[in-house]
Amino acid sequence: MITFLDTASLLLPLLYLGAVIAYGFVFFAGHPTAARLATPVLRGTVLFHLLYLAGLAVHHGQFPAATVSQALSIVAFAVAVVYAFVEWHGRERTTGFWMVALVFFFQLLSSVLTRPNPPDRAIFHDPFFATHVSLALLGYAAFVVAAAYAFLFLQLYRDLKAGRFSTFYGKLPPLEVLERMMIGALWVGFLTLTGAVATGAFWAERLYHDAWLHDPKILITIATWVLYAVALLLRRLQRWQGRQTALASLAGLGAILFSLVAVNFFFTDFHGFL
Amino acid sequence: MTQHEPPLLLVGTDYRCAPIELRERVSCTGEEAEHALLHLIARPGIAEAYLLSTCNRTEVYLQPRDEDEAYRTALDLIFLKKSPELERPGRLYVKRNGEAARHLLAVASGLESMVLGEPEILGQVKQSAALAEHVGASGPVMRRLLRSALSAGARARQETAITAGAVSLGYAIVELARNIFSGLEECRVLLIGAGEIARSVARPLVERGAREIRVANRSRERAETFKEEIPQAEIVSFEERMESVRGADLVIATTGAEEPVLTRKQLKEAMRSRRNKPLLVVDLGVPRNVEASAARIENLFLHTIDSLDLLIQKNLKKRKEEVPRVEEILEQELHHFRGWYRGLEAEPIIAQLQKQAEKIRQRELAEALSRFPAESHAELERLTRSLVRKILHHPSTQLRGRDGTRDLSRLDLVRQLFRLDDENSQ
Repeated sequence: MITFLDTASLLLPLLYLGAVIAYGFVFFAGHPTAARLATPVLRGTVLFHLLYLAGLAVHHGQFPAATVSQALSIVAFAVAVVYAFVEWHGRERTTGFWMVALVFFFQLLSSVLTRPNPPDRAIFHDPFFATHVSLALLGYAAFVVAAAYAFLFLQLYRDLKAGRFSTFYGKLPPLEVLERMMIGALWVGFLTLTGAVATGAFWAERLYHDAWLHDPKILITIATWVLYAVALLLRRLQRWQGRQTALASLAGLGAILFSLVAVNFFFTDFHGFL
Repeated sequence: MTQHEPPLLLVGTDYRCAPIELRERVSCTGEEAEHALLHLIARPGIAEAYLLSTCNRTEVYLQPRDEDEAYRTALDLIFLKKSPELERPGRLYVKRNGEAARHLLAVASGLESMVLGEPEILGQVKQSAALAEHVGASGPVMRRLLRSALSAGARARQETAITAGAVSLGYAIVELARNIFSGLEECRVLLIGAGEIARSVARPLVERGAREIRVANRSRERAETFKEEIPQAEIVSFEERMESVRGADLVIATTGAEEPVLTRKQLKEAMRSRRNKPLLVVDLGVPRNVEASAARIENLFLHTIDSLDLLIQKNLKKRKEEVPRVEEILEQELHHFRGWYRGLEAEPIIAQLQKQAEKIRQRELAEALSRFPAESHAELERLTRSLVRKILHHPSTQLRGRDGTRDLSRLDLVRQLFRLDDENSQ
């Protein structure tokens, strides 16, 4: 089992890199062979990724989100599944390169940060843990998807504003569609993160009383939640347009990465597992 | 000696050889084209004929029995009778055999069009083919050639980007709108100005199903003329144009006004009242109809004739890059056409070979039957027939070139080996 997990951890970034290259050929060169290969390569890799996560769960006997590496891998997996669904549903491959590139980035980070023995604490076996962490990671995955759409929206917006028609022009869905996808993903992310914060607060209050409130991880997560809440509220009130919301979405992704990686490594004990 | 290329003759003129005044005189459509085709195939020197006439070209493709007669007839009947000026050198082109076939394939693929990759030509080739079929001017060669041409045209559109991207002003606006809005069917269009440019850009928008077209013009008469050409349009007052801007998704200004007809202030107010929904504004006026500073307004996309020209040039460049891929398709289709034609040439030789083998079989069988009991005669008959059929099967397939290794020298070799040219052989 350990050999499989170690090999899979090495193979997954390489397989996603293969998918990124295939989708890159589709996006930049409209290559017909790449177009035929890209989807099967991605779907195959997603299945392999599922086996890897299942293997982690079986081997360690707990939900595979006990370390930053495992959490990043779940985020990568969730983004890949969301994109595979969007592609299947909308028969639309133009955003594939950017989405799969993000998946590759998260999985690469996960593989680099892999630790042989994740901690085994009592809370990891609490059903609240799985609910809280699943909601948080699903939220993060949705915010990653939103950030990818935000990035593409901003590129196309700039092209159309400046009349310069770069590589992005003509290869992406229309601005209105990109904005709709971004806002949709932001709402999914916001609602699931809200659920994660609520379950986390309820659970921590029961276990640790007030001690958890000063944890840097929780503070930065609440700040991220507020950022998304403000962005969605201003968009809803028509005070912000697509461009401002897209910028906020990218800033939110920065906060998530900071919270997931930097805060976990340097500032927190309480949330040290994730 | 066999002829390796299908015998074809093309006589034609196009936008590169002749000005519009001459081209329109020889243009031949509808009944006129029908009569021309009937006249052509009535001549003994012409076996099959096909006539393609569009605003940019008139071309006659013939399968001649007598090439000189076919050429003279096409020249006089289609071209010189109506426009003697075409006799001047360089006004007409003549292509023969494979070159003529290749030309038709290139025309159908849009490689010979004035606007590279123009898609309408494929429909025109198809329509003309139906006419030639209808009057009985098409025969097996022309029919197969047209099938190859239509296949080349369709493949070029599907497998390459030769028709991709807008290359006219109207379609460039459609393309821009499609990059902003989720569907043109939801787009409300306001045209400020009702001149020729307004009409030419409105047509593609109507064709592509824009939800609503409004036109505002200082002179009501001109707006009425616009409506006669574009009946879907609704005329609105020029003075109340800002009211329409608020409800529009796409505004196209084409007036000759000296002062801007849309200022930054007006557009900013309009954007506020439309809750900053995206607005595409296209300024085709010279001098400018829209204040340039309006481009800074959030969610307002201001484009001028220069940015549209940049887009058109970029698309044309992309189409040019696709030409080698289209040429590959042409070569493949031409290869199939030639193969088919060579197969046609092989048929008489195969028939002769089978006839000769059958003659030998019958002669040898007649001699042998007397040595066998009567009840086995039927069995011998069946056996010898099967033997001959099986022996000739592979050589026949090879001669038809169905294995993909077509070599016309084989036909000559078979003729010599089996002395097929000698009527008394065997």
